[in-house]
Amino acid sequence: MSDIVEKTLTALPGLFLQNQPGGGPAAAKASFSSRLGSLVRGITALTSKHEEEKLIQQELSSLKATVSAPATTLKMMKECMVRLIYCEMLGYDASFGYIHAIKLAQQGNLLEKRVGYLAVSLFLHESHELLLLLVNTVVKDLQSTNLVEVCMALTVVSQIFPREMIPAVLPLIEDKLQHSKEIIRRKAVLALYKFHLIAPNQVQHIHIKFRKALCDRDVGVMAASLHIYLRMIKENSSGYKDLTGSFVTILKQVVGGKLPVDFNYHILLQVLQKYILLLYLTMILTISAIFIFLSLAILFECVHTVYSIYPKSELLEKAAKCIGKFVLSPKINLKYLGLKALTYVIQQDPTLALQHQMTIIECLDHPDPIIKRETLELLYRITNAQNVTVIVQKMLEYLHQSKEEYVIVNLVGKIADVLVLNTVDTYAPDNAWFIQTMNAVFSVGGDVMHPDIPNNFLRLLAEGFDDETEDQQLRLYAVQSYLTLLDMENVFYPQRFLQVMSWVLGEYSYLLDKETPAEVIAKLYKLLMNDSVSSETKTWLIAAVTKLTPQAHSSDTVERLIHEFTISLDTCMRQHAFELKHLHENVELMKSLLPVDRSCEDLAVDASLSFLDGFVAEGLSQGAAPYKPHHQRQEEKLSQEKGNFSWICVKLESYFITQVLSLVPISFPDPHPALTLHPLKGPSICCFPLCVHVFSSCSSHFYVRACNIWFSVPALIC
Amino acid sequence: MIKFFLMVNKQGQTRLSKYYEHVDINKRTLLETEVIKSCLSRSNEQCSFIEYKDFKLIYRQYAALFIVVGVNDTENEMAIYEFIHNFVEVLDEYFSRVEPIDELPKICSALEPQQACFSPDSSFKGAASTTPIY
Repeated sequence: MSDIVEKTLTALPGLFLQNQPGGGPAAAKASFSSRLGSLVRGITALTSKHEEEKLIQQELSSLKATVSAPATTLKMMKECMVRLIYCEMLGYDASFGYIHAIKLAQQGNLLEKRVGYLAVSLFLHESHELLLLLVNTVVKDLQSTNLVEVCMALTVVSQIFPREMIPAVLPLIEDKLQHSKEIIRRKAVLALYKFHLIAPNQVQHIHIKFRKALCDRDVGVMAASLHIYLRMIKENSSGYKDLTGSFVTILKQVVGGKLPVDFNYHILLQVLQKYILLLYLTMILTISAIFIFLSLAILFECVHTVYSIYPKSELLEKAAKCIGKFVLSPKINLKYLGLKALTYVIQQDPTLALQHQMTIIECLDHPDPIIKRETLELLYRITNAQNVTVIVQKMLEYLHQSKEEYVIVNLVGKIADVLVLNTVDTYAPDNAWFIQTMNAVFSVGGDVMHPDIPNNFLRLLAEGFDDETEDQQLRLYAVQSYLTLLDMENVFYPQRFLQVMSWVLGEYSYLLDKETPAEVIAKLYKLLMNDSVSSETKTWLIAAVTKLTPQAHSSDTVERLIHEFTISLDTCMRQHAFELKHLHENVELMKSLLPVDRSCEDLAVDASLSFLDGFVAEGLSQGAAPYKPHHQRQEEKLSQEKGNFSWICVKLESYFITQVLSLVPISFPDPHPALTLHPLKGPSICCFPLCVHVFSSCSSHFYVRACNIWFSVPALIC
Repeated sequence: MIKFFLMVNKQGQTRLSKYYEHVDINKRTLLETEVIKSCLSRSNEQCSFIEYKDFKLIYRQYAALFIVVGVNDTENEMAIYEFIHNFVEVLDEYFSRVEPIDELPKICSALEPQQACFSPDSSFKGAASTTPIY
C-alpha cells in the first residue's frame, strides 16, 4: 500500500496544475484531460468491430498530426501518449508515436517523464532499435537527486533494457543497493534480478550484495532478493545450502506474525522445496505450524514442500488430511488443487490414492474437461499392468474428443509411453489389444507425435520379447490388421502411420499364409499411386516392395512399378526404382541381399572397398592412371595456376568423372605446347588452351575461366 | 511466471491488457480473442484454471468483466486466483467509486487516466507471484 500512497503523492502536483483556472488555455487543458475518457466511452458505446476500427483510425490520424506538429507542448504530448497507449492496447499499430514517447521521457517534467517511461515500457521490447536512445536518459535519471526520478529509471531498467548496455548502468545500480530509502533498494534488487535473467554472467560478482539484501531489515527488499535466490537455487541447489538457516528464520518470522500479512511467503516455500533436506528439525516444526494458516494457496504449497523434503510421519499425516479435504470439497477449484497435489504424492504414497478411489473415478467422468485431464494425468502416474487397459481406454476417449494439437501431442506421448515404454517392455496384456491401441494412437496423432514413438514401436516389434512364438504372433497380428486397414476405401491415414505399416508389411509379410506376397505388393502399389502420399512415405513403400519382391516369384505389379518410377521426377524414387530393376534381374542375388527377418542383425561394412581391388589392379596393368588423392590434385592445380594456360585432359570412366589431370603449364608466348599426356584409355576429351579451374570430381559440370569470365561447361558423359 | 494480464468484457472487448513477455501486436488480438472464447465457453460449475496451448489461464468473473491471467507451468494456480481478487480489492480501495461493470471508463473519468495504467504495476509488487511484476 505504501507504493500506492507514493504514487498518489506524485500525482497530486499534476492534479493541481490541471485544475487551475485560466480561461482559454484551461478550457483546452480540461478538454485534453478528458479526451481519453471520451475516447473510451466512445469505444464502449460502439457495437461493431468495423465502427470501432473507423473511430480508432480517425483518432490515430489526428494523434499523428498532433505529435508531429512542432507547436505541441509537452503536456499535450502527454495526453496524446495516453491515448496512443490505449489504441495500441486495442491492437492498432501506433509506431509513429514511439520516438515521441522517448522524447517525452527525456525532456518532460516529473509527471510527463512518468508517462513517457510508461509508454516506452509498453511500446518497446528488448530487441527494439529505438531502445538504445533511452539509455542516456536512464543513466541521467539514475544519477539525479530526485528520488522519484531514480525510482522511475530503475523501474524501466527492470522492465526493458538492452542487454548490451548493461555494463553502462551496472555500477550505478550497485550503488543504489546501499541507498537509505528502502524502495530504491528494492527496485535496485529487482533490476539486478532482471539482469540475472537476461545475462547471468554479468552479475556473478555481486552475489555477496544479494546476501546482504536477503538480510535487509526491510521486508520488501528481502522479498525481492528471494526471487533472485529462487532462480539461482533452481540452477544449482547445493551451492546455497548454507542459506537454509536464514530461510528458516524468515519462515519462523512469518509464522510468528512478526512480518506483515501481505508478505509473499509462498515464494519462501517454493525456495525450500528445492532442497531435499534430511531431518532438519527446526524447519519441520515451522512447517507444521504453517498448517494453521487459512490461505489455500499456501496450504497447497506446504503440502508440496512436505512431500519434497525428507518425510516425517506426523507431517505426512497432516498433509494427507489436507489433500483429503481438498479432493472431497464441493468447490471445483479445490478439487482441481487436490488432484494436482495427489499427482505429486502418488508415487511416494500410493495408499492415499486408494483412499480417494471413488472420488477419482467420479472425476474421470466429470463434465469439466480440465478436471478430466488432471485425473488422466494422475492415472497415468499409477499405471501398472493391471489397470493399463482401462486407463488407456479413457485416454483414447479423451483423445478422440479433443481437437487441440497440444492436447493431442501430450496425450499421445503419454499413451505411447505407457504402451511402448522405451523399447524395453510394454504393460500391454495381449497382442491384439496392443496392436489395436497403437493403431488408434497412430491414426489420431500420427502427424503430430514425436518421431521417437513410431521408431520405438518398430524396434519393439523387431527385437520382440523373449518368447519367439509370442513375437511371431504379434507380428502376424500386426500384418493382418494393417492389411485390413489398407483394404478400407476412402480412408486417409497420417503419413507416419503409413510408414510404420509399410515397414511392418515389408518385413513380416512372410508370416502370412493366406495372402501371397504378390497381393501385398499389389496393395502397396495402390498406395504408391495415391497422390495423397508424401514422397518420404513413398520411399518407405518402395523399400517394402523391394523386400517383398524376392518372395513373390513373378509379379507384373513389380514390372509396372519399375516402369513407372524409373522415369519419376523425384531422384530418391528413381534411385530406388533403378536398384529394384537391377536387383530384379537376379533373383538369387536379391534373396541373399534381402533375407527374411534379419532386421536386427548388424551389417558388416567394408569401408576400404577391398572387393574392388581386383578390378583396380586390372585397370592399372592396362595402363590406366593411378588414383591421385585430393590434396595432391590440389597441389598440382595450385602450381599450375601460375601459368596462364594449361592443357587439360578430362578422363572419363563410364559415368564417373574420376579426376582432371592437369598437364604442363604453358606460358603465353610459346605457341607450341609441350604435352606430356598420360596414355589415355577409354573416352577422353582434350581441351583448348584455356585456364581451367577444376571443381569436385563428382559434378557433371566444370567451370572454365576464359578472359576472366567464368563459364560452366557440361562435361560430356558417355 | 505471469505471461499476461487481461481484463475483458463479456462481448470480447479488451478493457486492459499488460504483457510481460513480448508478443507482436497483430498476434495479441488473436491471442486475446482465443483466450476470451475459451473463458466465455466455461460454465459456473467448471474450474477457473484452463489449460491453453502450452500455458495455463486463470480467470475470474466479476459481473460483466473477466480478468484473465496467463501463466506458465511453474506457477501456483490458487495463488494467482487469489491474487486476481487482491488486485480488484486494491482497485476498489484506490478508486473508491468502483463498480464491477466495465470499470475502466469510470476509473478514467474519475481520476487522472494514467493512474489506471499505473495501478496494475504497483499492486503487483505487493501481491503474490513467482516473478516480480514491476
